[in-house]
Amino acid sequence: MRRTWRRCALACAGMLLLAAGARAATEAEAGAALRAAEQQQAEAARLRNRWIPAEAALKAAREALRTRDYDRATELAGRAEALARRSVEQAREQETAWRDAVIR
Amino acid sequence: MRPRSSRRARAATLLALGAVVATGLHPSRAEERPDPAADLRAFQAHFRDRFPQLPIAEFANGPYAMDAGMRQQWEEIMQFPPYDFAVEEGKQAFETPFANGKRYADCFPEGGTGIRQTFPYFDTAAGEVVTLDLAINRCRERNGEKPLPYQTGLMASITAYMAETSRGKPFDIRIPDDKRALAAYEDGKRFFYSRRGQLNFSCASCHVQAAGQRLRGDVLAPALGILASFPIYRSEWGSMGTVDRRFTSCSAQTRSEPFAPQDPGYRNLEYFLSYMSNGVPIAGPGTRP
Ligand code: HEC
Repeated sequence: MRRTWRRCALACAGMLLLAAGARAATEAEAGAALRAAEQQQAEAARLRNRWIPAEAALKAAREALRTRDYDRATELAGRAEALARRSVEQAREQETAWRDAVIR
Repeated sequence: MRPRSSRRARAATLLALGAVVATGLHPSRAEERPDPAADLRAFQAHFRDRFPQLPIAEFANGPYAMDAGMRQQWEEIMQFPPYDFAVEEGKQAFETPFANGKRYADCFPEGGTGIRQTFPYFDTAAGEVVTLDLAINRCRERNGEKPLPYQTGLMASITAYMAETSRGKPFDIRIPDDKRALAAYEDGKRFFYSRRGQLNFSCASCHVQAAGQRLRGDVLAPALGILASFPIYRSEWGSMGTVDRRFTSCSAQTRSEPFAPQDPGYRNLEYFLSYMSNGVPIAGPGTRP
């Protein structure tokens, strides 16, 4: 009896956690994620090193926001931001690293 | 949609190339004064050592200089060159006066004949690199005509005709002793050697380190002489393409957002690559698989 109760408690806690994780994103959250991605992408543009998949994810995120699919917008914006961040890192690193590749 | 296996094979080739490139690194170098003449000697010596049996003129032929099998197919294709229509169209456009009665010939030295090898040049008055394609559009605009789109079509035809009148003339690119010209050269050189895009490749990754190797169905052209055959008729495109078209598609291959045609970044890149090819004769227009 006691064991059944404990098992039930565990399952309930698990379900609560899952529910919290899967909670739908709000418009505000999607908007914030998109702004963060746009900021990174603007920096990549300033360094003249935008990546195609970052730009594509950003466009898709904007479209998802427009159609009020906030979960998808948040996820895509997150992806765009991560890609844009790597493109910025690449550009900064290459500011000096390119010289190592020069034929001498 | 490409079959999955070929996509996987392509990813594997790219990874293998990446590994080849990564092993060729030197320790970091501080900034140096640009020395184009020294760069040119080292650049050409690199390719001479890599392909000792290849005369310098052969570098104009890109993949066909690298691969005997492809070369034979090429010789068959060249019995009826697929760019002939473009040369014809270009010649006609070149000789037709603008609405104001002026011609292209009025915009260029030597009436525009036999001058392809001197482009791009550094315009010391304007302080910028001027490519042949840009000079053609500026000529049009000065004479009240609309500029042409840069990647294909009539622009490719006119440059095809102008290249044909220059065949056999070695690239003769000058870098004047001018801070801005050196900066433009250096910017093009930086672009060529910088890793870009999601795949983290530079132009040099494919056209220096992997020159002559196969990537999917293609044999990678060596960077020496890489612009000597432009514009080209490319079977994969089914049409003519200019330098802008090629730069755009090579940028996209590395998942890097291409610049707009004739962006100063691309012009500087063309300046650098053409200068590195000094001595390689113009062979354009060309044909490619
Ligand atoms: C992932 C490898 C790769 C990278 C990186 C790459 N290219 Fe290419 N490039 C190719 C392939 C494939 C072709 C077509 C086969 C050939 O002609 O080499 C090509 C062709 C070309 C050609 C035409 C050569 C000819 O003879 O027709 C030019 C010019 C060129 N690339 C310039 C560039 C420049 C400039 C960059 C850097 C912005 C660059 N490429 C980066 C793969 C690459």
